[in-house]
Amino acid sequence: MLVDLDEPVSVGAVFSRGLMRPVWFSRGKRQVRINEVAFTWKTREGDTCIHHFSVTDGSGVYQLKFNTASFVWRIVHADG
Amino acid sequence: MQMADCRNRKILHIDMNAFFASVEQRANPSLCGKAMAVIGSVHRGVILSPSYEARAFGVKTGMTYGEAMRTCPGLLLVPADPAKYSYTCEELLGIWKDFTPLVELFSIDEAFLDVTGCERLIGDPVQIAVQIKERIWREKGLTCSIGIAPNKLLAKLGSDMKKPDGLVLISPEDVPDVLQDLSVKEICGIGPSLTQRLAAMGIRTCGELGRAPLKKLTAQFGIVGERLRDMGLGIDHDPVVPLARMHEEESKSIGHSMTLNEDCADLEMLERHVLQLSEKVGRRLRRGSYHGDTVCLTLRYADFQTFSKQRRLPHAVNHGLDIYSAIRELLRDIRLTQTIRLVGVSVSGLTRNVVQIPLFGEERKRTFVAEAMDDINDRYGEFTITWGTLLDRYDHGRIISPAWRPTGDRQY
Repeated sequence: MLVDLDEPVSVGAVFSRGLMRPVWFSRGKRQVRINEVAFTWKTREGDTCIHHFSVTDGSGVYQLKFNTASFVWRIVHADG
Repeated sequence: MQMADCRNRKILHIDMNAFFASVEQRANPSLCGKAMAVIGSVHRGVILSPSYEARAFGVKTGMTYGEAMRTCPGLLLVPADPAKYSYTCEELLGIWKDFTPLVELFSIDEAFLDVTGCERLIGDPVQIAVQIKERIWREKGLTCSIGIAPNKLLAKLGSDMKKPDGLVLISPEDVPDVLQDLSVKEICGIGPSLTQRLAAMGIRTCGELGRAPLKKLTAQFGIVGERLRDMGLGIDHDPVVPLARMHEEESKSIGHSMTLNEDCADLEMLERHVLQLSEKVGRRLRRGSYHGDTVCLTLRYADFQTFSKQRRLPHAVNHGLDIYSAIRELLRDIRLTQTIRLVGVSVSGLTRNVVQIPLFGEERKRTFVAEAMDDINDRYGEFTITWGTLLDRYDHGRIISPAWRPTGDRQY
């Protein structure tokens, strides 16, 4: 069951060949390594583009989003 | 179009399998392989898209939650996320357009592609269909069924014949055999009521429909009779209309509706919903440079009885407040006999790019306020600035209209 969070989160991401890929994020004092980016999509909030990532660390599923105007990452849902 | 040209056309119909459910299973791998369904609202509504695992238990689109849970105890329900589906549809459109510019988006999860003449460049239609299926799987992790035929009617029939992940080719010479014993209800455009009327005439199969005397069909159905006979024969001259050409055609009406979380009889609450819908309609009218002179209110009672009332205005409008004022009068004139389940607002009688410059102070101020509000909402998001009444507005953002398209007037 996905739990709604919508909290700011620290994320390590790789930018390569025009793509952005989160590779880890912090949860409490724990660093969660991302095994797989399962799905990505984009939305708009006004004229700001938001990138959404559905990711998994092998045991849990998380949804992260990145605001391209504020450069802020947020964790939206967690299931793990 | 000449008959010979029609027979030589190569049309693909692509149907994304259990689209919303498959996207949710991709986005949340813990749902993969499980009986789950995408639903419209957590409060109430119907099943929008069951996964194939749920379909195996008998869960169908349109079932109420109660029916679905009785059919498949333990069914996982996931609220719809339209932004995810519309973005994925845009990505799919990008893939399809790599094969042909003639792509007609039939709905958010279906499209027609005209690949006539692409053989030398990319391969025959079957090779093209295989390449499309491979790309969709590789890039989005989704499956689709594809029908290949000389026209849209038969291509759609082909994609329906094998699901999921099917590929069906109906060649011109196969058409009589395919249609001979096929029930008329399998044809896109022949619904339950038409099927019943045809059955009353002793017509149950496409073969019988194709052989039926045209006089008999037109006597019963008017000009539709000829179209029905063509359907029975597998004839369809409709071209694939790409999005760009669709946008050239002007909209006839623009509207929004919402199913409420709970049935409502409170007039003040209904008026607030009408204001919210009027604002959304006004935004879309202004975005498309439209004005409209006819407003229409649609209400659905708790027992699903639906009715509309419309009114012609003395001048064309595109401001939410003008639409709201007219609709509110219509609403106040109705004596409600039941609680309301759905509210809809639309504007028709549209004209485009015809603007009366406001002459008087009050009018000018209102126009400037609307423009300023549009600028702010364009920049920071819908309803960032709105009427105080709508601060406590209703969240109904979980439904995609069948009319949705990724660009143009139907993008919202």
